[in-house]
Amino acid sequence: MATRMETSSGRGTATAHRGAAVRRIASAMPAWVWWLAGIAIAAGFPLLNVIGVVETAWLRVGVVSLIFALLALGLNIVMGETGLLNLGYIAFFAFGAYTTALLSSPKFEIHWPFLAVIVASTLVAMVAGFLISLPTLRLRGDYLAIVTLAFGEIVRLTIINLVPLTNGPNGITGIYPPRLFADAKPALEGIEAWFIIDKPLEYYYLVLVCVVVLAVLLTNLKNSRIGRAWNALREDELAAISSGITAVRAKMLSVVLSAGIAGFAGSLFAYYSNVISPESFLFMQSVIVVCMVVLGGMGSIPGVMLGAIALQALPQLIREAAGAARSDFEVYRMLIYGVLIVVMVIVRPEGLLPDKIFRREAHEVDPRELEMTRQSLFDLEEGEKDLEV
Amino acid sequence: MSFDHIMSVTIGGLTVGMIYALIALGYTMVYGVLKFINFAHGEVFTVGGYVAAFSLLAMGIDASTPWLKVAGAIALALVAAVTVPMVLGFLIERIAYRPLRGRSRIIPLLSAIGVSIVLQQLIIIIFGPKPVTIPTLALSSASVSFLGVNVRVLALVIIAVSAALMIGLTYLVKSTRIGKAMRATSQDMEAAEMMGIDTNRTIAFTFLVGSALAGIGGLLVVMYYGSLKYDAGFLYGLKAFTAAVLGGIGNIPGAVVGAIVLGMTETYGVSVDLGFLAWFVVAGLVLGLYVQMVRVPNRRLAHIAADRRTPEYERSIMNVYRLTPYHGIKTLLAERTDALLSVSAVDAVRLMAGNIFLAVLAAVMFINSSARIDTRWQPVIAFVVLMVILMFRPSGILGEAVTEKV
Repeated sequence: MATRMETSSGRGTATAHRGAAVRRIASAMPAWVWWLAGIAIAAGFPLLNVIGVVETAWLRVGVVSLIFALLALGLNIVMGETGLLNLGYIAFFAFGAYTTALLSSPKFEIHWPFLAVIVASTLVAMVAGFLISLPTLRLRGDYLAIVTLAFGEIVRLTIINLVPLTNGPNGITGIYPPRLFADAKPALEGIEAWFIIDKPLEYYYLVLVCVVVLAVLLTNLKNSRIGRAWNALREDELAAISSGITAVRAKMLSVVLSAGIAGFAGSLFAYYSNVISPESFLFMQSVIVVCMVVLGGMGSIPGVMLGAIALQALPQLIREAAGAARSDFEVYRMLIYGVLIVVMVIVRPEGLLPDKIFRREAHEVDPRELEMTRQSLFDLEEGEKDLEV
Repeated sequence: MSFDHIMSVTIGGLTVGMIYALIALGYTMVYGVLKFINFAHGEVFTVGGYVAAFSLLAMGIDASTPWLKVAGAIALALVAAVTVPMVLGFLIERIAYRPLRGRSRIIPLLSAIGVSIVLQQLIIIIFGPKPVTIPTLALSSASVSFLGVNVRVLALVIIAVSAALMIGLTYLVKSTRIGKAMRATSQDMEAAEMMGIDTNRTIAFTFLVGSALAGIGGLLVVMYYGSLKYDAGFLYGLKAFTAAVLGGIGNIPGAVVGAIVLGMTETYGVSVDLGFLAWFVVAGLVLGLYVQMVRVPNRRLAHIAADRRTPEYERSIMNVYRLTPYHGIKTLLAERTDALLSVSAVDAVRLMAGNIFLAVLAAVMFINSSARIDTRWQPVIAFVVLMVILMFRPSGILGEAVTEKV
């Protein structure tokens, strides 16, 4: 039996072994080394701007990529961990952004302190997530995707049509920059200038800290009881329910949590961009976030962050390389994203930096790993010697 | 609210509904066979419309062209609007969906979204971002008197053509060899293969038929409205999908019924007064209460075991039902009939929330009876219908015709 297995997986083993070797070297280093390296690169990037190697435009791309990394991390909870496709994710982002814009802009002459606004934005998005999850979570996967899409479009059209509150298509302008203390005097000099965040560099570090903290929290959550419950629901809902997981509660938690993260990211986005309008919350934006998660690897926290940064930086790279006109370029950008989604789900569905469960599920299974699983499965059965490699 | 107005609104709704139906059939057939949402179908429709429009433009017809030439040009446009989408649908299935067969539901859906974006961008690159506009023809502005109302000839043409196509499709699916193969593949792909059906060919054929119908829909839309934008397929596609779900996905007559209901809802929603619409809400409320309080309890009572059917027991169940229909159904479904007797008034209100909402809605509408819903909310109507139908009755009006294998 052993020989038969050997021959059946004959050609595949050579490549698989090479892949395994790379993985072995990679996994020889503890995870925290990778984390630190990633943080060091991200934190060091603006210094290139400070010493004048890269333009400020790149710093702006960096801020937006990090905001999208937050979004991708949030979507990854529902899409990667729990296996629910949300095609209206940008609606929660919009909730956060508009809450911020209303609470901290000349529109209604309200000026809440930064921390209060960001908490309020997160909560508003979470409430929206809770309300939408109440009736929809019983639906099966693809219907859920369409309902969330409809929800996203309803939110966008409502923003456009609800002119008294949102200024309609014109959007809300002049959002005040975040201020760490509400009573800071208007004077922007001396020590007080430090407590107001209004330069790309400052935004960059603010968002970076948020991304790192969130990534660490989510990594812990992923390995917790809740994270395992989500994964179990994704793999087999019936089996998960049979093992005592309250499906609706676990799913609701994941939807609400991801909505909250989107609201948080939306708040940062509103502060950073100063102006928000319904154009930032198109269906295409939802698709772009989905694309980031798919590209990076569903369920993989470093993966989705890499996916977000890659997809935001790529257009800028191409734009600089080709020097193409902006309107012209936008078309090709979306074309590339579309092709990317199709190619990824067909050729490498587990993503660039795959999560270990997804890697095992995907087509290129290391035969040794598989056999080890098999071995442990049949450990107690007779004839286990036959299965040894 | 004159009869003429109602009549013209009805015909407008029927026309729009028929166009949705043509697109919805593609969704519903593919869903029936492959159990996944062919998200790119809306873009196939747009391509059909664009190809038709550009072939009409290429032949240089306008209002002064003799009708014979116009007819020839339309026939050629029809051929183009059928062929190109068919080829496209075939290629999409082969390239983007076939490698993913047998994977979990959301993977092919992702691929379909990717294809939809690619197609939309390709339309912009090839045809430009501006909406395509065809010259006004004598045909497109002609109107006839129908039951005392002026109706555009094209609206009647659309209704007739769509109806004919749907009858043809029903014949195809019900009475031909390939239709039988489609139904078999839809029921159980493995078993169909064992019976010697080439399922790959059948699926490809399903895509060909669906795309051809969408292409014809594209031609009709271009002729009816005179122009088409590159992103029209997104909205049309979603509305058609809504229609397919509304009627029961996988169900061909269902798609047509759902499309007509959706077209009517949309058109009525923005073109008659709220006071008139409120009667529909009232009708829905009455129908819902009838189902909840009379039909369902009676059907459920029939299932109670004979030894428990004392008159007191039956009466108590009926009473609880009348008070709290939803709760009664739920507990009976859970076979915990004893729990029925311990329902509080608070629970009753909570569980009747849907009915109370409808009643309040109707009241508000009667109070503002002369107001109208602004046209800019029209797209929202379809999305709300979609959400409501998926939440409360995902199996649709006529029921799903999809066999689920666990």
